[in-house]
Amino acid sequence: MQGVASHNVPSPAVVVPHFIFGGLALLVISLLIVVEPSIFTQHFINPKLLAVTHLTVLGWITMIIFGALYQLIPVIMEVKLYSEKLAKISFILLALGAICLSYSFWNFDIGTEMYFSAVFIIIAVVFFVINVTATSIKSTKESIERTFIVTAVVWLLFTVFAGLALVINLTHPFLKPTQVALIKLHAHAGIIGWFFQLIIGVSSRLLPMFMVSHNLNKKKLKATYYLLNLGLLLGIFSLYNNWQIGVNIAIISVVLSILFYLSFLLEAYKKRIRKHLDIGMKQSVLSFLILLIPLLLILLLVFGFNSLKNSTQPIIIAYGSTIVLGFITSLILGQTYKTLPFIIWLKVYRNRVGKGKIPLPKELYSEKIATIQLWSFSVGFIILLAGIFMQSDNLVRLGGIILVLTILLYNYNSLKIILHKPKKTNK
Amino acid sequence: MNTEDQNIFTLLKEVIDPELMVNIIDLGLVYGVRLDKDKKEIVIDLTLTSPGCPLGEVIIEDAQQIISKIYPNFKVKVNLVWEPAWSLKNLTPEGRIALGSV
Repeated sequence: MQGVASHNVPSPAVVVPHFIFGGLALLVISLLIVVEPSIFTQHFINPKLLAVTHLTVLGWITMIIFGALYQLIPVIMEVKLYSEKLAKISFILLALGAICLSYSFWNFDIGTEMYFSAVFIIIAVVFFVINVTATSIKSTKESIERTFIVTAVVWLLFTVFAGLALVINLTHPFLKPTQVALIKLHAHAGIIGWFFQLIIGVSSRLLPMFMVSHNLNKKKLKATYYLLNLGLLLGIFSLYNNWQIGVNIAIISVVLSILFYLSFLLEAYKKRIRKHLDIGMKQSVLSFLILLIPLLLILLLVFGFNSLKNSTQPIIIAYGSTIVLGFITSLILGQTYKTLPFIIWLKVYRNRVGKGKIPLPKELYSEKIATIQLWSFSVGFIILLAGIFMQSDNLVRLGGIILVLTILLYNYNSLKIILHKPKKTNK
Repeated sequence: MNTEDQNIFTLLKEVIDPELMVNIIDLGLVYGVRLDKDKKEIVIDLTLTSPGCPLGEVIIEDAQQIISKIYPNFKVKVNLVWEPAWSLKNLTPEGRIALGSV
């Protein structure tokens, strides 16, 4: 039936393991912040911070994105997922790769283990890319959201191959730029090309849908798309060739692209018919407010003022942390409440619809816990950020402890949703 | 609108959009209802707030089940329509209150 996507949704067995692994990975990440707070107050290239970073971007963020995309592709492209089997194999490989790579970084063991991890991750990504591309080809629905998603997947591929090249370059140098320039290149391909682009593609469709916003100016999305990708291409070329002016222009282009996107979201927010925001949407609004911080920080770093020169290291770590642990983590924490309950609700109640009283998806989790989670995340993240800026291990640790509690609440609610069983009286 | 059609409209108030948590009549999703006694058929013209809505099929099934329970000898058919596109104007005063759009 045209326009009806629920008969295209994949089995929860494909999606749910991604959420479980992601939640556990985030718990480990927050525990590592408590155990080793000093990794946030040293030079930004230190092995343990690289370990935490890779566990965050692969084990938490990419893991959840893979799982969520398998669920959301039918909504956005209005077709069935190409292969559930490929998705399951990709999950196992990504999980193994994320664990092994983070472990190798933690011990700074650039040997066989790291190569194997990189290969696991590359195969996982290739399988994911095949799945998304084959699904996308089946869809006849042309849209800017689909273009964002397909381009994001291309950048993901570039990012993981760039990562492998970095590992090889560590032991057998063959690339011209410095290792620091290559790390920046690899990181930005992943953050902007993969994460930002994917988030924009998916959220530009879902957030107006959740808020019931209509008649939005989609030209802003096109401007976002071109400025973001042209800026990223220029940035990567310039970083590789050590061309600072090119890097500066690239940054302006990407910052402008994100401002165009934020303006699109603001328009959706103002035009929303559904005025009451639920807890998932409140946390999502917080995420986009957090996103303003790294935009400011990157401009400070590049067009920096002399007085800030001594603060470069904390600003770089704060920049990365606000994107990964702030903006993206907060958005996932919020959007979990907009996706996971529906996945489970459809599985449990699909055949009971219209046959008696059934709970609403919102009733599958505790809203009270989700509200405490929103506040504790905000407090924990602000303290962590303060600790990074002030280079205080104690503050970083305190922020980490509050984040551990936050993630415990998040995991409790996620498991409550996943393990939901219908009440006998509903039969 | 005759009494039977009115009755079907009232019954459809039991169908709740699981995301918006408002019934489909107050959301203004039902564009028309026709009961044909000769053909033993009930036709419901229904729209969704967004094309590709992941819960569209659930809403349709819910509507079919609820009407079929009261009219067991009738075939219930739901037409998904996109014209005119759903807008704020479709909401009833109760729907506006439920969404906070007043």
